[in-house]
Amino acid sequence: MGNIFSGIFGRLWGINKEIRILILGLDGAGKTTILYKLQMGEVVKTKPTIGFNVETLTYKNISINMWDLGGQTSIRPYWRCYYANTAAVIFVVDSTDKERMDIAQKELHMMLKEEELLDSALLVFANKQDQMGALSAAEVSKSLNLVDLKDRSWSIVASSAVKGEGLTEGLDWLIDVIKEEQL
Amino acid sequence: MSYLESRLRKFFKLPHKGETYELRSGLVSQYAGDRKDAIERVIGAMTVGKDVSALFPDVLKNVATHDLEQKKLVYLYLMNYAKTNPELCILAVNTFVQDTEDPNPLVRALAIRTMGCIRVDKIVDYMEIPLHRTLKDDNPYVRKTAAICVAKLFDLSPEMCVEQGFLDALKSMIEDSNPMVVANAVSALLEIEAANRDTKVLVFDAKILKKLLLTLNECTEWGRITLLTALAEYKSTSEAEASSIIDRVSPLLQHENPAVVLAAVKAILMHINAIPQESQDSLVRKLSAPLVSLISTPPEVQYVGLRNIRIILEKYPSILSREMRVFFCKYNDPLYLKLEKIEILVRLVNDSNSTVLLAELREYAMEFDTEFVKRAVRAIGQVAIKLEKISKKAIDVLYDLINSRSEYVINEATIVIQNVLRRYPTQHISTIISIIADINLDQLEDDEALSSYVWIIGEYAKHIPHLEKILDGMVSQFLEFESTVQLALLTTIVKVNLTRPSPNTQKLLQDTLNTATKEVENADVRDKAFLYWRLLSLDGDSAQKAVMLKKLPPLTSTIEKFPPALLNELITEISTLGSVYHQPGYMFAAGDAHTGGKVQTKKLEELQQLAKSEIVNNTVKAENLLDFDDDEGDSNSANADNGASNNNILAELNDLFAGLSTQPQQPSSVSPPPPSSEQSNGASSLFDLMGGFEAGASQNGAANSKKPEEDLLSLF
Ligand SMILES: Nc1nc2c(ncn2[C@@H]2O[C@H](COP(=O)(O)OP(=O)(O)OP(=O)(O)O)[C@@H](O)[C@H]2O)c(=O)[nH]1
Ligand SMILES: [Mg+2]
Repeated sequence: MGNIFSGIFGRLWGINKEIRILILGLDGAGKTTILYKLQMGEVVKTKPTIGFNVETLTYKNISINMWDLGGQTSIRPYWRCYYANTAAVIFVVDSTDKERMDIAQKELHMMLKEEELLDSALLVFANKQDQMGALSAAEVSKSLNLVDLKDRSWSIVASSAVKGEGLTEGLDWLIDVIKEEQL
Repeated sequence: MSYLESRLRKFFKLPHKGETYELRSGLVSQYAGDRKDAIERVIGAMTVGKDVSALFPDVLKNVATHDLEQKKLVYLYLMNYAKTNPELCILAVNTFVQDTEDPNPLVRALAIRTMGCIRVDKIVDYMEIPLHRTLKDDNPYVRKTAAICVAKLFDLSPEMCVEQGFLDALKSMIEDSNPMVVANAVSALLEIEAANRDTKVLVFDAKILKKLLLTLNECTEWGRITLLTALAEYKSTSEAEASSIIDRVSPLLQHENPAVVLAAVKAILMHINAIPQESQDSLVRKLSAPLVSLISTPPEVQYVGLRNIRIILEKYPSILSREMRVFFCKYNDPLYLKLEKIEILVRLVNDSNSTVLLAELREYAMEFDTEFVKRAVRAIGQVAIKLEKISKKAIDVLYDLINSRSEYVINEATIVIQNVLRRYPTQHISTIISIIADINLDQLEDDEALSSYVWIIGEYAKHIPHLEKILDGMVSQFLEFESTVQLALLTTIVKVNLTRPSPNTQKLLQDTLNTATKEVENADVRDKAFLYWRLLSLDGDSAQKAVMLKKLPPLTSTIEKFPPALLNELITEISTLGSVYHQPGYMFAAGDAHTGGKVQTKKLEELQQLAKSEIVNNTVKAENLLDFDDDEGDSNSANADNGASNNNILAELNDLFAGLSTQPQQPSSVSPPPPSSEQSNGASSLFDLMGGFEAGASQNGAANSKKPEEDLLSLF
């Protein structure tokens, strides 16, 4: 009985529907750290992600499936396997990694060209702000050519995953956009 | 990258409707229930053989779940399709590694098992940490699963197993407190050894032996089979050690699982030679009850039991002689079982039970199944040849059967009678001649039967009524016969001419030689005809008689035997598939896991070809059977020195043989020499191989391989 209820009525009211968010970015940007900071509120010790992590968290009454994909060069081609039904992409940038800003920019724009992601919102974390010499959010935004993005809700937030700064702020914005567009 | 891109794009170019599309939408659904549903449907499709490999990335995404049931299904899918999508497997690594740390031991075991089974090089690189962890897991279920993984990994990367210490870890697991872990560690070590025949990884010492013997009573059936196999492979170092192994293993002979029983029998037989002879005899007697217990199982298992019993019986012929009745065929036994039972029966028969068996075989020969009836008739012959005391009765039974039964009985009986005559050339002549006289030529449809018939009338020409009429009839159809029959007929006509010459037979001879040399295409028949022609044109008939009328060596048995070397190998194969095929495992188990050996890599045909040409070569050597010149090398000089007229003929004979040896494609009329005769080592191993091939063949193989000498002689 309970099953039928949650099955049929739950679907009508969108209760069991999961919102799918992808966390992408180059290797070492801090994606996995962010995922677990958001989910458990802790900074965990990470290893480079060979494959993916997925965690479910309930935020503002919606159930979110957060997919954190590995960012190593060899894994990037497989990002596309995860694009289907994605409501939003969180793109994480290591703000201290100035040399690879260009690569990050290229990967970001290439990804956003994909048909399956045309309607997804974009949140960029200019991460590792606690580090000396980190570029500011505005500088990162410039390096990534974010102003070029048309027809897309996007935002960039300065963050530090280890200190937990900027994460909820960014997520709040993202959830509001998603709620507006999807529900 | 572009190759990868295009491969990946393939996944997204899937049709936008149809089953695959629906499944894919289900797999990426935003509802957990839909996803699980879709996974179940994908597995359903997979198990009925549909190719759902195109869904690989979408199924794989669902591996990260807390739903154990779903995880199991996804893992199952991964194992099945990893090979078709090796590069995508890397996406599962993170989940695998996490799962090997899961609080639930089932998940940990499942993860390491799947990693081991995926067998993709990319995954191997990431196995190090999870495998180390699971090998030391607190939970025995996880440890025993990890143990098997080491064997799988060894196959892909032996270096890694050695460098990372997995092999050592595996060896030390023999000391584990949990019997299942011990059994799996042993099983993994055995698997590694089987796939790498030159590496010895399961090294016993007194401590390990003691541990295995203790564990034997504690583990499950499969664990027991593994440990028994290991114990069988161990070479005991002393009489005391062998006895203690046998003592510990013996209780398992009473086990209800036939596989355990067979494994125990094997373990005992492998150590039996180390104990004193008197104890050996009583021990062998103790094996008969367990072997008999194998016959009260379902037909397929019974068949395996019977194939094994046949091996054991050949090594220890006295073992089941009191139990013959157990092996009588039941009316509802499947044919393959009945045929195998007859194999056992003819080996068990002795003077005290032969009357009972003969009555039983007679019953079989009255049944309806052609194959079964033929086999029964042949068995009657085998009994007659084996036991002189019962031979008269057996021949009477054959006589009755021929009078009352259909043509295939007559065909089979004719073949049998030829063999009986070779065992008892004079004893039962009157009955046999009346059987032969009653046979009508067009009742003989089988070539082998026809050849036998032709041989008999040639050999017993003076007893055969209307001999010349029969020969007339046959010569007029000469060209219609198969070459084997033509060969037999040539010999018979020549023989009759030497024993009972008459103007008519001389004309028959002339006609036959003419036809055979001018109109027959088969080279063997033509060669033989030319050979006779030369022989007959010699002055005086002493040489002719010496060659033609030389009696064949008497036959002592028509029951096929394994060559001794093969038999010893087969004893070590008891309870494995090799015991069912009657071939050592490496003969048929070529495959991924067994690429190490040399023999296996050769195709079976190649081996057969090799064996055939070897036989032809041996036939050339066998010419000294008739005291002709031996080595091709000095034959020329020898001939030149002698200068006698005969030498021309001999030289031509040599040419003929040389010709034969350069045509290995045509040894069809040449049977393998007797396995027991003195061969070089290389050659005898080839005969083992041939024995292997023939063991699997029909009963014809039995009779053929028993008549090698005759065939060699009948060349002349
Ligand atoms: N100082 C600082 N270090 C961070 C921050 N976020 C992550 N890190 C560190 O950066 C390293 C890489 O972090 P991960 O979360 O593993 O990076 P990732 O993006 O998941 O990397 P891949 O899985 O290889 O794609 C770790 O040592 C983190 O502790 C941050 O905000 N500040
Ligand atoms: Mg990561």
